[in-house]
Formats: sequence, structure tokens, C-alpha cells
Amino acid sequence: MVSRIRAALLCLCLTLPLSGCWSSKEIENLAVYAGLALDTGQPAPVEKDLEAQGAEYVKQNKVMATVQIIPIKAMGSKDKDQKAAQHPYLNVSGSGDSILEIFRQFSIRLDRPIIGHHLKVIVISSELLKRQTMDQLMDFLLRDNDIRPSTMVFLSHGQAREALESSQPNDVPAFHIRDMRLNQGRTSKVLEPVTLSRIDALSHADKSFVLQNIVTGGGELAFSGAGIIKGASGHWIGTLGQEDTECLAWLAKSGKSGVIKAYDEDNEPLTYEIKSVRSKVRSAVDGDRISFRVSLSFEGRIIETWSKRRMPTSDTHAEKLAAIIEERVSAMMQTLLHKLQSDYKTDVAGFGQKLSIQHPSAWKKAKDDWDDVFSRSKIDLDCDVTITDFGSFVEK
Amino acid sequence: MFVRTDDKITSSQAVVFLTNTVLGAGILTMPRGITQAMKTPDSWLTILVGGMVVMLVILLMVKLGQQFPGKTVFQYSAIIAGRIPGGLLSLLLIGYFISVAGFEIRSLAEVTLFFLLEGTPMWAIVIPFIWAGAYLVSGGINSIARVYQIVFPITIFVLLLSFAVSFRLFDIDNLRPVLGSGLPPVMKGLKSSILVYAGCEVVLTLVAFMQYPQQAVKAMLGGIAIPFGLYLLTVVFVVGGLSIDSVMTSAWPTIDLIRSFEVTGFFVERLEFPLMVVWLMQMFCNFCSFFFQSSLGLSQVFKLPFPAVLLGMVPVIYLAAMVPKSLEDVFGLGDEIGKMSLVLFMLIPVMLSLVWLVRKKGRIAHG
Repeated sequence: MVSRIRAALLCLCLTLPLSGCWSSKEIENLAVYAGLALDTGQPAPVEKDLEAQGAEYVKQNKVMATVQIIPIKAMGSKDKDQKAAQHPYLNVSGSGDSILEIFRQFSIRLDRPIIGHHLKVIVISSELLKRQTMDQLMDFLLRDNDIRPSTMVFLSHGQAREALESSQPNDVPAFHIRDMRLNQGRTSKVLEPVTLSRIDALSHADKSFVLQNIVTGGGELAFSGAGIIKGASGHWIGTLGQEDTECLAWLAKSGKSGVIKAYDEDNEPLTYEIKSVRSKVRSAVDGDRISFRVSLSFEGRIIETWSKRRMPTSDTHAEKLAAIIEERVSAMMQTLLHKLQSDYKTDVAGFGQKLSIQHPSAWKKAKDDWDDVFSRSKIDLDCDVTITDFGSFVEK
Repeated sequence: MFVRTDDKITSSQAVVFLTNTVLGAGILTMPRGITQAMKTPDSWLTILVGGMVVMLVILLMVKLGQQFPGKTVFQYSAIIAGRIPGGLLSLLLIGYFISVAGFEIRSLAEVTLFFLLEGTPMWAIVIPFIWAGAYLVSGGINSIARVYQIVFPITIFVLLLSFAVSFRLFDIDNLRPVLGSGLPPVMKGLKSSILVYAGCEVVLTLVAFMQYPQQAVKAMLGGIAIPFGLYLLTVVFVVGGLSIDSVMTSAWPTIDLIRSFEVTGFFVERLEFPLMVVWLMQMFCNFCSFFFQSSLGLSQVFKLPFPAVLLGMVPVIYLAAMVPKSLEDVFGLGDEIGKMSLVLFMLIPVMLSLVWLVRKKGRIAHG
């Protein structure tokens, strides 16, 4: 009898889990944002109207945050409203001093609470990073438990919120930017995206790094070069061009693709398609003098030429063409190294890490003012281009 | 159906029992603790050295236990050191087990609240787990071991899967230079790396429950070798994937590693949720071990019936879990537990063995 009562009581306990999760929230009742843009502080256009009617609170307008909300309502059902059908997203901007406070201010404007579980992309305007440091802007984003450290971070040349706008129907800019990495196999101008967890590590170590730069125009966006964040200050200090960026990717082993275009003796274009890149950085320490030797070797094919001359696919001719490409790629690398060492005086290519692995004691001495030491170090460059074939084309 | 009446466990059950007792919340925080102490990427070396030390410790504890077949430390400490000193030592050990049980259940609740169930009150997570634990423990060591046998393969599979998928973030340069600052940091990290094996004290009672105590050395070393291997894998993957700078600032570095990538198109895009859910089971196992040990100790020292002690322990464990006021306190408690485990090791196996040796020698000389 007792055991039967006990069994009945235990069965009653089973009704407890039937109620489901204590803190469950239906996704229909949440506003999921996939993109976040950070700009310099100024009231957003809508906010100006609201503030004119007294919708104000105490703030200094240090930053403007824009979230890109993906409305579930508009996605499934066919809306008669033309505008909603055109844009499967909704951008909401607000300005203030604290990112979380701005987010909470959205809650007095939107019909659903916003939630950061599915944030994919953060775009920061370079202008804002001139005034604020990376640490300040990333602080909340790293602390928050909803936002994943896998979120990718980008810079924008103009206003960051424009990067989250698109003129193409059915294009969600946040997803567009996220998927751009699929192009990495075609060109190394598309860098491996830097995630929040990488930024956390880099800024904790006061290392300088680059973030992909986004430019916008005519409702479209393009990845153009990369902005440099100086480790010591945490500010944006300048931009590398598109060719510098691909050189940087080849050098730092993060990119292995792309084309090199040179002009032959008749000034006609000659294009080389890279199949693989090997890069080796050797450091040498001689007393206080630190020097590096960079060896880059490319393997690929001649894929396009506008030359009117005969194009024999012989080894001797291949060597002649390889020399032209080699000269071009050396010049590109030299430009990059000059920019890093003389213009920006910043190591974003991982020379410091190479030194720390190859000569730990020298690194320990130099690491406190590494960017300075780096800009004075001697770097020898050694490029080697191999042409393996001429495409599906043979000529004697 | 065959029901055992003697409440003994087989050797393979003993292996899983020890593994599931040691492998708990530590795996989520351990890379940070060690890296903070060392400040170099050599944490895997420290884990290696620490593991060797712990294996020696376990060897000593097993040898001691084998001198008293079928008796737990709570019983043989009285034989070796006398009733009062032995009882005091047992009480120390019990107090230690209670605080570890509280710590494990609290860590479980903290992780759940932060990542999974934001907004659920702490008690609503802690109390059901304690009751479920009490139900399991009331079945005796055999039922506990059988639950462990079910849980263990699941948690290990998900953990290894998560690490395998995280290989995309792995960069060998994050683990270099090896011994860039020489050996001193490895020694500095040694303390933290021994702490992650806290809980191996259960060997002191486990040997008594083994059906074939003569296999105890093999079983216990096997049981510690599994966490040893997994800890090694964890530091290599977490430091290799995140770099020491990120590991040092992260509250739960192992979870952050898994949160740092998305596997588009996989059957779960975000592996942290399966990992956390199965790791809750692992922490629950952990907690049950210590719950069982402390209740067993109290009932043996004071000669009280086991079920009564078990029920009486429920509120005590709850209080132990709720004592830390903040997350920082919880991590602080974790460190204290590690230190306590060192002190207890010096007090119990080492001292008891010495006394035992002296008395045995004396007996032979007089006999």
C-alpha cells in the first residue's frame, strides 16, 4: 500500500515538467537582430522627430547604434504592403552613450523585445573608431550572454548604418556581409572575418590588427581593403588598399587565392591566376637589431593575355613571363611593407608573433614597444613565381 | 531479474565512477585558471606533470585501502589512528565532500542561468537537482555506477565532437613558443593543474566497494587516466583555438571556444547547447558522487542509518550551494576546494600510511 502511494506521488511529480521551460520565450514574440552598426553619435532622423516632442533622456550622444531586425511576420505571409515585401528587414537607430542603454531605449519604440542570439555581423564606422577605442565599443558585446563570440566585425568607410541598407529586394544586408566570405576562394581581397573572440584576444594583448573595410554606394556594398586598428591606442589609424590587403593575406597565410595582373613589354595586360601561396617569415636577432626574411612562393597559371605576339607554352617562355609577374608582386609587397613600416608604423602582419616563437627572449625585450621596433626592423623580401601551365592552351 | 544484494561494483564501473567524480565543472574553467597562473601557452605541459603527480597520489591511496578489504576510509582511519583522531579526520573529509557537492551544484546552476535559462530562479534549478540526486544516491553505489555508465559515453561523445568541430579555429601558433619562458611558469601552474583533479579522494572509499579489490590499482589509474587525457585535450584545443589572451579574460573559456564558431548546415549549428546540456548531466554525476560520499561518511562515523543521513543532508547541501554570493565567490570557492584537497591529501593518505607503517613494524617487532 505504502509503495503504491509512493508511486502515485512520484507520478504526480511528473506533471511538473509538463509545464515546460520556466523562462521560455516564443520566437514570434521576439525581435531577432542579425546586424549591428555603430556610428558616431548624432540623433538618428526618426529620433530627431521624437526628441522634438520631448522624448529625451540624459545622454551625451557618443555613439549611434543601428540594429537590423529580421521581421518574422513579413517573411512567411505575403504582405500586400509593397514596402514590407521589398525589404525583409527593419533597421532601427538610436543614439546615446551606452550600447545597452540604447538597446533598452528601443524597447520603448518597438512592439517586441530585441534579442541578440542571432547577431551575425557588426559594422563600425572608422570615424567612430577615431574617437572611441575598440575596447570601449566591444565591452558590452563581449560581456553579453546572448551575443555569440562568433559574431564577425567589420569597418565601414562611410556611415556604418548605410552598410546595413540594400536596394536589392529580398537581400538582408547582414546575411549578405556574412556570406561574402564564400568569395575567399576567388580572391584574397576578402579577408578571413575577425570574430568578437579574436578581437577580445587581440585587444587584451594590445596587438594591432586589421578589419575588413566596407564601402557603400548606390544601395550596394563592397569589401574594399582593410582598416588598421592600432593596438597601443585602440583607435583606427588608417586604411590599406585592396592590393595591400591581398598581399597582407598572402603574407600572413590567411589567403591563398586571387590574380596578379601585370603589363608585358607591349603594355598589354597579362594575368596570372594563383593556385597556391606559400609564405615563410624568418626572424634573425643580432644584438638589438631585429631583421626578417620573407619568402613568398606562388604557384599558378597564365590565364589571360592580350598580347598580340606568339605565346609559346614552353618552359623558357614561362620563365620570362614569371619574371614579369614576379616583379609586379614584389612591387606590391614592397608597397605594403612600406605602408606598414613607414606610414602607419604598425605590425599587422604577424611579424611579432613569428619573433615570439622563433626568438622568445628577444620578443620579451621588444614587445612593449613592438610597433616601434617593427618599423625600424629590416625586412628582406624574396618572391618566387612559378607558372605551371597556360590553361587549356598549347602552342609551339 | 538479477538484483545484487551486496552493493559492490565491477572494475569497469569503478573506472567510470572515478572518472565521473573528477570530471566536472573544472573542464569549463580549467584553461583559464592554469593560464592565469602561468601566462604562457605551456599549460598542456603543466597538465602532463600534474597528472603524473596525481597518479602517484592515487597509487598511495589505493595501496592504503587495500590493507583493509571492504572498509572505507571512515572506518579504517579509526583503526589506524584511534577512534577520536580518526573520527576527526573523517569529519574533515566529510566537510570537504559537502563543500565540493555544493560547489558542483552551484556551478551547474550558474552555467544554466547564464547561458540557458536566463530568468529562472536559482532555487528552481538547484532543488530539483538535489532531489533527483538524493533519489539516485538512495539506491546505493551500484545504481549510481550504473547511471554513470549511461551518462559517461554520451558526455564524452559530445565533448569530443565539439572539440573536433572546433578544430577550424585551431592555430598551432597559439600554443607556441614551447617553454618560451623556461620551466618556472610550468611550476607556477602546477598547483592549479593539481587542483583540477580535486575529487580523486573518493578512491579512499571506492576501493572498499570493489568486487575484486585486487584490480583496484589498474581500475583507479584507468579512472584518472580518462580525465587526464580529456584535460590535456581541453587545454590544447581551448588555448590553441582562442589564444592565451582570450582564455585569461573569459569566465567559461571552454564554452566560449564552442561559441566562437557556427557550423552552418550541421544538424546543430551551435554546439554549445548540446555541450552544456550533456555537461549538466556530467556535473550532476559529480555532485551525486560527493553527496554519496559525505552521507556515507556521516552514517559510518556516527553509526546512523544511511537513508536518514541522506535525507538530513538535503538541506545541508542546499545551503552549501547557496553560500557563495556571486560568481566571483563561486570561483573563489573552487580555488579553496583545490587547496583543501592538498591539505587533506597530506593529512589523510600520507599521515595514515605513515602511522600504519610504524604500527605494523612495531607489531612485527613485538609479535
